[in-house]
Amino acid sequence: MRKTTPLSRFGLHATLVALVVWSVLPFVWTFQTSIKFTRDVAAKKPVLWGYETTANAYKAFWLDADDINMWSVLVYILAVAAICFVLGQIGRRVRHGWPWFLGVAGVIFAALWRFPKIWEANDEYDFLINSIVVTVLTMLISLSIGLLAGYGLARYTGISGAVILIIALGFRALPRTAFVLPYFFGAKEIDDWLTRTGVGSWNFPLIDFPGIDTLQILDTRLAIVLALVAVNQPFTIWMFRSFFMEVPKEIEEAAMMDGATRLQAFRKVIIPMMWPAIIATGLFTMLLAYNEYLFVRVLAPTEWTLPVAIVSLTGGESSRTITEAAAASVSITLPIVVVIILFQKHLVKGLGAGAVKG
Amino acid sequence: MSTVTLDKLTKVYPNGFQAITDLSLTLSEGEFLVLVGPSGCGKSTALRMIAGLEDISSGDLYVGERRLNDVPPKDRDIAMVFQSYALYPQMTVAENIGFPLKLRKVAKKDRSQQVQQAAQILELTEQLESKPSMLSGGQRQRVAMGRAIVRKPALFLMDEPLSNLDAKLRVQMRADIAAIQSDLGVTTFYVTHDQVEAMTMGERVAVIKDGVLQQVAPPEELYAHPDNVFVAAFIGSPSMNLYEARLSAADDGGHLLQLGDHRLAVSPSLMNNRPALARYVDQPLVVGIRPEDLEDAAVAPDHPADQRISAKIEVREALGAETLMHFSIAAPTVDSGDPDALDELGEEDTGRCTARFSAATRARVGDQIEINVDTDHLHFFDPATHEAIRS
Repeated sequence: MRKTTPLSRFGLHATLVALVVWSVLPFVWTFQTSIKFTRDVAAKKPVLWGYETTANAYKAFWLDADDINMWSVLVYILAVAAICFVLGQIGRRVRHGWPWFLGVAGVIFAALWRFPKIWEANDEYDFLINSIVVTVLTMLISLSIGLLAGYGLARYTGISGAVILIIALGFRALPRTAFVLPYFFGAKEIDDWLTRTGVGSWNFPLIDFPGIDTLQILDTRLAIVLALVAVNQPFTIWMFRSFFMEVPKEIEEAAMMDGATRLQAFRKVIIPMMWPAIIATGLFTMLLAYNEYLFVRVLAPTEWTLPVAIVSLTGGESSRTITEAAAASVSITLPIVVVIILFQKHLVKGLGAGAVKG
Repeated sequence: MSTVTLDKLTKVYPNGFQAITDLSLTLSEGEFLVLVGPSGCGKSTALRMIAGLEDISSGDLYVGERRLNDVPPKDRDIAMVFQSYALYPQMTVAENIGFPLKLRKVAKKDRSQQVQQAAQILELTEQLESKPSMLSGGQRQRVAMGRAIVRKPALFLMDEPLSNLDAKLRVQMRADIAAIQSDLGVTTFYVTHDQVEAMTMGERVAVIKDGVLQQVAPPEELYAHPDNVFVAAFIGSPSMNLYEARLSAADDGGHLLQLGDHRLAVSPSLMNNRPALARYVDQPLVVGIRPEDLEDAAVAPDHPADQRISAKIEVREALGAETLMHFSIAAPTVDSGDPDALDELGEEDTGRCTARFSAATRARVGDQIEINVDTDHLHFFDPATHEAIRS
């Protein structure tokens, strides 16, 4: 190896610093904008430091009242985060951690449910709920299908398996915009049929969801989830298939000799080996669903998720909405950053080769 | 603990390849039977059919009185040790060994007690809380054994369990496995390609080639009386020297064996013991000579002079207690049909011969020496069928 001179080391570090600044700068800028007053944002000469800070943009985006101390909101969020962190740490350390992780989910659910009851929340709060519902459902459905299909396609070596994989890859390669209109018209056809036949307004016994009078697909969270699952499925199948290919066949055969059914072997032996893969694939699916704009905009004209809500703020005439858009961007990015930091170890493990080898 | 009966088991793959043909074997209670054969001979397929991991195309499989053809693997009460060990990487050693018990819903307390017991037998007590990735090859192998013995199955299946270990450990584990098996008394079906493993471990050894069973016998019997050329060459190391030869009547009423340019007087006792040989006089046949039936004439000068061949030493391997000599004799060799041996022979190999001399020999590479042939222990085979000419 060549010896590093002070000059080369300086050049290397300078390049790295430049790269970090280059990638962090947009986020820093957005964050600054979100805590500035509008007059500083709109100033002709950019105000880079020494400006007065405010949480007004956050308040304006999320809440419907003016006389609220934003510190109390911050304390609420931090308290929830702290409780979740403690539960999660206990869950990691005890032998069967899943009840604790269930507790984390419960705390988050309760916090989200209580929030608009404590403070007057805006409509945007519903979009946050939409975002979460869409993301969680998309992850659950496409991970479950991906796991089963990936396992099947990894173990089945016939020609039809290869055909399915190639078709899936083809769908993945097509631009996503190509799917938007077909999905829209397909959903519209179904809705028309539901209205025409009257099926949509049937009163089903037992199934009586509050707030749903008529069945429809367009402009529902269901439409977004269905479309995103379809778009994301080839990716999860391919990911999981490649991970399953690394699990030696003997391991599940050994489990079956030990007295397990094929399903038990899959659940008790194979799935626990797959956690890094599930987390990595899950994170990618989460990012896709959480950040989706186009499908939501077209398939759900009023049931927005957060990205659509933010975009609606950036096109307005008033410069006041710019700070709101920035505040919204920061607030929807932070949870994702936290999740990625928590799981980044698994993310790297899952993407690295030999993740599941003993 | 039960008898195991394989009745004309046959495996035909969907592409038409016949991996196993009419395999019939009976294992008595507590027997250790080794199935040995060259690579690709179908021995692992046979094992997987017994395990239930491969369908049985035709024939019947019984463990005890129970016909197992259509019983799923989990209900067969058969434990298997895999070549790759197939340990569960996310579980500790204790969890690995206890997994079969957990699936059988054995209470936690009994479970840990039985795991402890198995760990003690296998000397794994120290490692119980480790993950498989932290263990050495030998320890992993023992964990795989532990998973099999902990549930006291009707039958053990072992698929080349020692082939991933280094040579020294393999010798030790060979003895350990044999000892554990005889302690537990569980019927065991052991598959290997290593004939030394087969000979040292098996109460009986079954030799298989191209999916067809060649011979089943105790190791000594297999070595002394191979049924055909393949078994003769496959069992024993270094393997038996096989040549095309011709038996002819001598002027003095005795018989001569023509081995290329060499002529060996065949003792009358041999002809008397094997009357069937009379039919092969003046006919081609295959003769087999074990390396230890050849000796340096300088070491044993009392040997009859007409039972000697002369050859030039090409390679000498001194092993201490004995010395292996390689030389050529002018007689065409016979292909035993062992696909693994072909590589060793190389191309155009006529008359290659290996002898096991006593360490007293002074012969060196390049020496032209006289070699005694113990004609009483010659093996004869039919040149067409490759079957032994015995009676």
